[in-house]
Amino acid sequence: METVLKVVGVTKKYNNGRGIFDINLDVQRGDIFGFLGPNGAGKTTAMKIMTGLMSADSGDVEIFGHSITKEFEKAMRKVGCIIETAESYTYLSAYENLKLFSRFYDDVDNNRIDEVLELTGILKYKKEKVKNFSLGMKQRLGIAAAILSRPELVILDEPLNGLDVQGMIEIRKLIKLLAETEKTTFFISSHLIHDVELTCDRIGILYNGRLVNVDSKENILKNYASLENYYVSEVGKNGNI
Amino acid sequence: MGTFKAAVINEIIKIYKKKKVIVAVIISLFAIVMGQLMVTVVNTGFGLRAVSGTQFPILVLSLFSRTILPFFTTLVVIDVFSGEFSHNTMKITMTRPITRIKLFTAKVSAVAFFVLVNLIIVMLLSMLAGILFNSDSITEMGVFRVLLAYIVTLIPVVAFALIIVFLANIFKSGTTVFFISVIIFIAFNAITIAFPRYSSLFITSMFDWHSLWNVNTFQISKILREFFIILGCAIMFYTAGYYLFDKRDL
Repeated sequence: METVLKVVGVTKKYNNGRGIFDINLDVQRGDIFGFLGPNGAGKTTAMKIMTGLMSADSGDVEIFGHSITKEFEKAMRKVGCIIETAESYTYLSAYENLKLFSRFYDDVDNNRIDEVLELTGILKYKKEKVKNFSLGMKQRLGIAAAILSRPELVILDEPLNGLDVQGMIEIRKLIKLLAETEKTTFFISSHLIHDVELTCDRIGILYNGRLVNVDSKENILKNYASLENYYVSEVGKNGNI
Repeated sequence: MGTFKAAVINEIIKIYKKKKVIVAVIISLFAIVMGQLMVTVVNTGFGLRAVSGTQFPILVLSLFSRTILPFFTTLVVIDVFSGEFSHNTMKITMTRPITRIKLFTAKVSAVAFFVLVNLIIVMLLSMLAGILFNSDSITEMGVFRVLLAYIVTLIPVVAFALIIVFLANIFKSGTTVFFISVIIFIAFNAITIAFPRYSSLFITSMFDWHSLWNVNTFQISKILREFFIILGCAIMFYTAGYYLFDKRDL
């Protein structure tokens, strides 16, 4: 199996003493990796470091064998992501937003823009300014932007935030479809155990800035009645629940 | 190079999709019309020739380069840097396959393009006004001098913009950057008036360096000296601005 994302000894400590500590992680091609942890566990910090938005105090991240700090362009060429919140330029239309992003890639044309808008269910709002979008529509646009370049690795921080039930189901289906048909690897963070259980096939638990455990969903469900039981057990072992 | 070009195009599009640019053009047009009206009043009311057809654009440039242009350049720089940081949209581009040095340079290039286009629009409008009201005094050499004066003005204004870029990478709030920029602008001008011997050390005193180019015999040594001072300022603030931009955690 090819390792697409490798996190080696990443530590980042904030002034308040919180942060992430000695995170080591491998994500293989085709994985839908769930990064589970409560609010404030350090999920977003870890993902910001993975995508070069933040520098680590120590350690490194390799994407497709390229260091995010030393070979940023090569590392990010086949990556799409939403970090923290799905942002877009509100004074531009959905199409104009995606057109801006498409310029960074050689093989993204207007048909592809329409395709991702269709996949995320916002094609009919293509020419509407984003400032008029609801939170859910902005989230869908963020996902459209993340998958625009047909990335081989998609990093999504709480991708179902702001979506209604139908939207959650559609995006979950989309993630599974891309993982199956295009062998896209997903790295998805969430604080919602149910979401992770329904979407992901490998799960890592982050608690108080430390990676408590990583295992496949299959293994977990062999030994525990539910992911929630596993989570309680793993976090409990660390004496915090 | 491909991603740099993409970033420059994107930054220019983002600047021109904002209403500030239209406001800048309207205010520039208004300033030109007012200037021409005043010149016409002087010409007709006092029987004097205040300015000729090609002197009028230079007169406009002297006022424009010291007031409207730095003002709107400051606003655009704040939009391009502080605005994107505060609206959390900087990360949209920073998570694309483009290095921070390319993105920073693309943003500075887009600001320089904005300044250039603004200068060209004002030059064309003021020349048109000059031709309409004083067509008899238009000469080819005069037109060339106007063109040269407007083009060289780009250099000190971009250097000034780099100071604002530096500030925009220090302070998080766009409002703070704006007020500090205004204070610096006023302070530089005040120091220039109080200590004229040291005026060449302050970038705001260079906004009218086009006057050095609008002469029959160029003072090469003075032009070069001022150019190197502007260049030094630009290099310093470009480097410092990039350092802060690169080190910034989002």
